[in-house]
Amino acid sequence: MASPDRVSFRLNGQPVEPSCPPERILLDLLREELRLTGTKRGCDLGTCGCCTVLVDGRPTLSCLTLARLVDGRSVDTIEGLSPAQGLSPVQRSFVEHGATQCGFCTPGFVVTATALLRRNPHPSRAEIEGAIAGNLCRCTGYRKIVEAIEAAAGGR
Amino acid sequence: MHLDPFELHRPTSVEEAVRLARELAGRCDYLAGGTDLLPNYKMHLNLRPHLIALGDVRELRGHSLDRVGAAEPLADLEADPEFRAAYPGVADALGEVATPLVRASGTLGGNLLVETRCFFFNQSYFWRSSLGFCLKADGDKCHVVPQKERCYATFSGDLAPAFLTLDAEVEVAGPSGRRRRPLSELYDAAGDGIRRLSLAPGELVVALHLPRAARGQRGRYKKLRVRPSFDFPELGVAVAGRWDERSVDRLSLAVGGVETYPRRFDELTSPLLGAPLTTDRVDELAEAVLRKVRPVHNTFLLPDYRRRMVAVYVRRALAEAREGGAAG
Repeated sequence: MASPDRVSFRLNGQPVEPSCPPERILLDLLREELRLTGTKRGCDLGTCGCCTVLVDGRPTLSCLTLARLVDGRSVDTIEGLSPAQGLSPVQRSFVEHGATQCGFCTPGFVVTATALLRRNPHPSRAEIEGAIAGNLCRCTGYRKIVEAIEAAAGGR
Repeated sequence: MHLDPFELHRPTSVEEAVRLARELAGRCDYLAGGTDLLPNYKMHLNLRPHLIALGDVRELRGHSLDRVGAAEPLADLEADPEFRAAYPGVADALGEVATPLVRASGTLGGNLLVETRCFFFNQSYFWRSSLGFCLKADGDKCHVVPQKERCYATFSGDLAPAFLTLDAEVEVAGPSGRRRRPLSELYDAAGDGIRRLSLAPGELVVALHLPRAARGQRGRYKKLRVRPSFDFPELGVAVAGRWDERSVDRLSLAVGGVETYPRRFDELTSPLLGAPLTTDRVDELAEAVLRKVRPVHNTFLLPDYRRRMVAVYVRRALAEAREGGAAG
């Protein structure tokens, strides 16, 4: 348990204990206090999925999460899903399939897709489409995103 | 969008949560998944200076076929094949709530108690201040029905209609102890629309209980919305029952998304018991439900369209429930 004005949690595997007033949203804490700007602010109301992070491995909308409530838990952002060198299999697949255009929604998709493949390593196309139904992309039309996730699942 | 400051409380038991809420009477909200409350707080809708977070109250979590904890995430119900098979109408509704990301945090209790919605309410503070505030937040008039002093904001939960058809009961904890009552009584149909729940100040929904007879019925939930993802219902129709070609043994129908409360229409379904569910009878039922509902112009689709779609969705829900057969 952190001191009263702080929150203590594991961020991408490392313990952190930033100061944090009760009204601070996790997205704001990540971007503005901890300077991890890979997590994007899209709608800020839970509609678009751009701000998705993993809390104890579960995809979570960081724009609708009070930062204090991740006390004692484990948070993984897009930065934490990449290996020290290069790209994760999902990231590499997104690049190879051209599944990104402006790129703003991409971190959210990669986090959601990573959680899906950990839970269900061989999802059907319908399961992929279902899992990403909370992530909006205004550029690609989704087809290449679905193909990229399918390919990452197949290890291609 | 940043939130205004508030004090955050983290009780670890139902009794502690209720005691806090009583001490903070009228100045607090309960916070579970936050997927409804926090967007509203970001829009400066009915802010309270204290939030009572329920995530550490273990009793509110977990589910079985008999009981669902109020703070159980919708995704955890959805991920349980036994639960889905036992309650096919609820399974439909679970898959239709918002998006998988919202369902990962959003809870059963949050969906049953979801704030009612309206064009003139679900807007930023600046937008609302430009037009003039409404009855439901900060103002004293209704922009939808200006001559009335009641609120017409629409009940927008998907799960309540489905659970209503199964005779579910809610367990509520309050300063004077616990009680169970039918889910339908959670909604205060005699209220002014602003007061839309029958909960006393500080009362907390602890769990939903399902009777043994709720299992294994035919069931379906059909949702009308503009986008097949995220959107709140413009109409939701739930049916459940037991019937075969010869006779209807049980039939229940509930509608949400068109009025301030989800409603069950026993007076229209009970005459169908004991006889076969013919196309003519289904058509009559569909038209009768259509005549009963009174949507107003406060959501994206026009009220007349939503009303006419009630009949279409009643027919579809019953047809699909018939195709799907009984589960369990």
